[in-house]
Amino acid sequence: MRRKVAVCAVAQIKNEPDIWYQRFQGMLFDCFESIVEQTGVTFDMEKGIRNVVTCSDDVFDARTISDSGMTDVVGAHYRGEEKTAQDGINALGYAMAAILSGHDDLILIMGHCKESQSESRQMCTNLAFDPFFCRPLGLDFLNASAFQARAYMEKSGVTDDHLARIVVRSRENGAKNPYARKNELLTKEAVLNSPMLSDPIRELHQYPVTDWAIGMLLSCEERAREFTDNPIYITGFGNCMDSYFLGDRDLTSNFALKKAAGRAFRMAGVKDAKDAFDIVELNDACAYQLPMWAEGVGLAEEGGGAWIDGNGMEKHNVNLSGGMLNGNPIMLGGLARTVEAFLQLRGEAGERQVDGVRKALAHGTTGPAGQHHGVIILEK
Amino acid sequence: MSTAREDCFTMEGKLALPYQYFAGLTGSRFLISLRDQKKIKGLKCNKCNKIFVPPRSTCEICFEEISGNWVDLKNSGTVTGFTIIRYEEPHQPVKPPYILALIKLDGADTPLTHIVKGVPLSKMKVGMKVKAMFAKKSTSSIMDIDHFRPVEGKPKFEMGYTYDELEVGMSASFSKTISESDVYLFAGISGDFNPMHLNEEFAKMTPFGTRIAHGALPQSLIAPVLGMKLPGLGTVALEIMARFKAPTYFGDTITATGEVVEKLEKKRWVRMALTWTNQKDELVAEGSALVIPPMPLPQQAE
Ligand SMILES: [Zn+2]
Repeated sequence: MRRKVAVCAVAQIKNEPDIWYQRFQGMLFDCFESIVEQTGVTFDMEKGIRNVVTCSDDVFDARTISDSGMTDVVGAHYRGEEKTAQDGINALGYAMAAILSGHDDLILIMGHCKESQSESRQMCTNLAFDPFFCRPLGLDFLNASAFQARAYMEKSGVTDDHLARIVVRSRENGAKNPYARKNELLTKEAVLNSPMLSDPIRELHQYPVTDWAIGMLLSCEERAREFTDNPIYITGFGNCMDSYFLGDRDLTSNFALKKAAGRAFRMAGVKDAKDAFDIVELNDACAYQLPMWAEGVGLAEEGGGAWIDGNGMEKHNVNLSGGMLNGNPIMLGGLARTVEAFLQLRGEAGERQVDGVRKALAHGTTGPAGQHHGVIILEK
Repeated sequence: MSTAREDCFTMEGKLALPYQYFAGLTGSRFLISLRDQKKIKGLKCNKCNKIFVPPRSTCEICFEEISGNWVDLKNSGTVTGFTIIRYEEPHQPVKPPYILALIKLDGADTPLTHIVKGVPLSKMKVGMKVKAMFAKKSTSSIMDIDHFRPVEGKPKFEMGYTYDELEVGMSASFSKTISESDVYLFAGISGDFNPMHLNEEFAKMTPFGTRIAHGALPQSLIAPVLGMKLPGLGTVALEIMARFKAPTYFGDTITATGEVVEKLEKKRWVRMALTWTNQKDELVAEGSALVIPPMPLPQQAE
């Protein structure tokens, strides 16, 4: 039988618009101390943590090899340390592979991002483009998403009104999540009247600037109960990278997400996404992405617009955390989605708790207009 | 320990690293032909039968080396997607709002991203035919194409300027030499066979001492200006006023000029100042016109 990987503990700080009172090192250290306290894990070379996987971004930290700024506070000195400079869901895939391969039996994952410190998030993501063909045009993740949003809305029957409903619901769900960014509740009209940033994306359709840090302890199945009475298991993982140039891709095809989900489903033995999961967390950096990714993972075969009208978001318990749309920093969306899945599976989701959650899907994405996707399946 | 904002020191920083990016051999050939020949080139994968732009040396689908398979693409193409950027940030090449579009060049299979100008934001649509406008100065980047503009379709009629397109200060004129036969024809058209226009012996007795053209003849030369030039086809003239200042003699070349002087926002009418001058730059007449500029025609034959 295939070995399983356990998520033993999760530690997070609250998502905030501007954590001006703490460096990212301090944010990580709070999470680190909480993991140690929750699990009693040590840094003993025989029985403790010997490998750390971090997640951060050079441009958002404005220093190269951004992990070198904080390896000390996450206990990585004298140990193996690997950085994921992508959506953090890949750190989970990485850690899982390290454990399943027998390379190690304990992995600490630590991720951080302070979006508030750069003058502009769009200036940072502009640097993700090549300097010859794309960067000079002012491409960034926001306007790249706008190309996709227009094409997708045309195809899926998702309207400006649907997008407003998604944003309103995200804020309502976020308000029930003590670790979510504290945002104003919104009316549909407020969203419909918010200014266009990059047609058809309005200001309130885009996730707000956010700072956050997160830690997770993963172990092999055999050792999980040393650290927790209530381990949650990763039973499936898959990811896929699409073409780089926007023009090379069919922006509405969900190509990479379908591949990523297919790989995760095959590993976890999931046949039909529509009845497989008790809760689903999708990485919706922009409102249009929620129905689009729902189509991509197979929840909304009827098309995003009809799926929303058919109450699909509630039927499949999608983004009860508030989603990325309520505010998580770039790179950490997939880890935030996984945290919600973990809490729901443990029965620790408070006001948002769904009864009897046994299987959950969490999703992360990075790159312009969802170039790269990762899907993880967690079970009790 | 308390945490107050004033106790938190932040240091202003800025990453700025002068850098030379090598475009690669394949990228270099593309950029050099763009710079020196104003030619957009694509690379063809013969195995996948697909023509890529921007260029790459290897087909990402089948991994075939394609760096020798250059093909010339047209400078024109079709918009397959677009967004209108309305937020302003330092990394943008032009001041918003501006249109960024995916443009499938004629001859290519993968759309290229670029700026589209010359179309009102509200009129931008997928399917529009556009052509590349090259930059006056090379930056050896994709910005050697300055932007794309709509290809003038071939409309049956070139309609005039709409109210929104007209600006105060725009002017246009029409000139014609007035001959004896013009005057005689005009007499027939108007029924005005007054000998001061037709009979030299009679005209010698008038204050002008010779035949002169009917006043309405030079005046009528403003009609081709208003109706065919500015605003142009589709214009409705509501009022034309003229005050005559000097006679028009046979053989004079009269220039009728109209200039937009006022846009009447409420009615969306335009007031124009009119002048008629002769070949000696003498003012023959002056006046004003009130016109309804042409309405935009949404669907015209391509
Ligand atoms: Zn090929």
